[in-house]
Amino acid sequence: MNKFRTALAATLLGATAMAAPAQADVKIGLLGGVSGPIAAMAPAMIDSARLAVQQVNDNGGILDGEKLVAVIGDSACNPQNGTDAATKAVNIENVVGIVGPHCSGSVLAAANSVTIPAGVTIISPSGTSPEISGLNDNDTVFRTVPSDDFQGRALARTLLLRDTAKVAVAYLNNDYGKGLAESFRDEFEGNGGEIAGFAAHEGEKASYRSNLAELASGGADTLVIFDYGDGSGLTMLRQALENGFFTNFVGGDGMKSDAPIKELGAENLTTFLSSAPVGEKSDSLEMFGKAFAEIGGDPAAIFATTSYDAAFMLALAIEKAGGDKAKVSASLREISNGEGEPIRAGEWAKAKELIAAGTAIDYKGAAGDHNFDDKGDVPGTYALFKVSGDNFEVVTEIQ
Amino acid sequence: MEWIGLANYAVFMAIFICIYALLSLGLNIQWGFTGLFNAGIAGFFAVGAYTSAVLTSPAAEGRLGGFDLPVPIGWIGAMVAAALIAWPIGKICLRFRSDYLAIATIGVAEIIRLVIKSEDWLTNSARGITDIPRPFGDLPYVYSQLAYLAIVASVLFVAYLMVERQIAAPWGRMMRAIRDNEDAARAMGKDVPFRRLEAFIFGSALMGLGGALFAHFNRTITPEAIDPMIATFLVWIMLILGGSGNNRGAILGVAVVWIIWSMSEIVTDQLPHEYAVKAKYMRVFLIGLMLQLVLRFRPEGLLPEPQGTRAEMSEKSK
Repeated sequence: MNKFRTALAATLLGATAMAAPAQADVKIGLLGGVSGPIAAMAPAMIDSARLAVQQVNDNGGILDGEKLVAVIGDSACNPQNGTDAATKAVNIENVVGIVGPHCSGSVLAAANSVTIPAGVTIISPSGTSPEISGLNDNDTVFRTVPSDDFQGRALARTLLLRDTAKVAVAYLNNDYGKGLAESFRDEFEGNGGEIAGFAAHEGEKASYRSNLAELASGGADTLVIFDYGDGSGLTMLRQALENGFFTNFVGGDGMKSDAPIKELGAENLTTFLSSAPVGEKSDSLEMFGKAFAEIGGDPAAIFATTSYDAAFMLALAIEKAGGDKAKVSASLREISNGEGEPIRAGEWAKAKELIAAGTAIDYKGAAGDHNFDDKGDVPGTYALFKVSGDNFEVVTEIQ
Repeated sequence: MEWIGLANYAVFMAIFICIYALLSLGLNIQWGFTGLFNAGIAGFFAVGAYTSAVLTSPAAEGRLGGFDLPVPIGWIGAMVAAALIAWPIGKICLRFRSDYLAIATIGVAEIIRLVIKSEDWLTNSARGITDIPRPFGDLPYVYSQLAYLAIVASVLFVAYLMVERQIAAPWGRMMRAIRDNEDAARAMGKDVPFRRLEAFIFGSALMGLGGALFAHFNRTITPEAIDPMIATFLVWIMLILGGSGNNRGAILGVAVVWIIWSMSEIVTDQLPHEYAVKAKYMRVFLIGLMLQLVLRFRPEGLLPEPQGTRAEMSEKSK
């Protein structure tokens, strides 16, 4: 027992000693679901955010040539770890702003119980729940990913324009799938479409044949899947193809993954379409893609662009605010409000000069322009993709 | 600034420890004193959290409530709801012996989780409930956390005293008798099924209260919070490590596991940046390793259950 107490005390002391930071660094928190249900997606997101940090440091650093340091926290995609990681970032590491957390539940809890009271600005690259818009946040909660509301509606309008008027909808039962599915249904039915089947499914099951049979019984030949293409969405797609339940398939951005092409073969996916966000200024997206590929990342990884943009914008805002934590959120709006000299992904040296000169800048990110609305949300730009060879190819822009 | 930050972090951890200590105490009544293997803690935690959320949050469209009631009513409601849910479950499942009961309760907790995740009208399904009031939530950050800590600590203290008293009473000895030798207890004329049901309901009500305190602390509750890993098995680890059958052990276990889990991240952050992401997995491994070591070298937990007569027990606890 005594030994144990000594060990515990040593741990505590050690942690205290190590918590003292070198004051010259400017710290930002990167909170992500490193462990937990999105563990497969999180590393790419964190790497792309760290790319932004690295670019800042390689191009003159932040403020007076100081180093921008990213502190990584594991929000594990649940509120318990999300608040824990945020508390550590805010209180122990003294971060100026936070990129993350990744999952909506973590964002809501961390924002409500930690960052809003502490006045720290957070930018979530992947919290898509519409509930985040409604937070009473003193303008400190932003996101670079559009609320699910936008994409579902845009996809519904596009399908109707393409004369698909009767569909069945299958969605993964989480905030992502549900948010998309509901906004899709709303818009689709509101504009005269017919939903012939609408059902949630749980992730990671071995078989979805009964779900599919149920959905197919409505008589639609098009299945809309809001799920992840490297998870249960793939299983669903495979089983629907094998058993011929549907002929046409449409997915949300989660389905635009390499996994279906690799697993099912491009020749079987000729009737598969998927919507996904695209960067408005494609040169910014290219610049990011090139830089990210150089450090061994996959630029097409889901939420990689939004994570990168979130980190880069946070750095810009800190520069603009002169490192003052309280001014970061106001500066964040200033650096990307559609007016001023355009700054593209990675153009840190140019941005730093302009900010020093007092010129207005406008960040055009890899994932879009990111002109925040009054709730801190961004509208998305989407395109409809089809499978072509081993890749996805844009069919049409969707609004 | 440094010390304020550390103090803030310590207060935050203390709040979490108090909340999880309620879950652990609830489990201790069920497993530690009565021998009921409840693997569905997350279910009762969720019922409590959502009941209080629905009762106290402002009116919202598209789901039940919010009724905007005072927070204490929400907390009492959470206990009542968790107890009410526990009653039929206990009625049905408690006829099973240990491992069968575990399977049944896992199933029940999953049912509760899926209902919460799917039923819009009841819980706003996957999006969860926001705008839950936190007592003294309008104060500045530090004071608001301190005030909440004072509340949860006093709730925990009262719960602890009540459980201690109940366990020291003849009821507690009867429960241990049922746990250790059910047939003998029955031969002595004890109504075993009824007593086990009692323990199951008491424990579940405490878990519901823990859930409510959690929801109000975060001002929001989403289905992600009731993942079995973090709301069931973590509590088990805490109780086994601390010492089942001993209330102080139950609370100590929570403190030890939570502090190690949370603080280990600060330690792993000192590793070079290449390992920063990988290091996060180490923490999960650490908890597992800790449980293995405790089970191997100290299976009775850090603070074992006191043995012997009443007089010896009070002697030992001093």
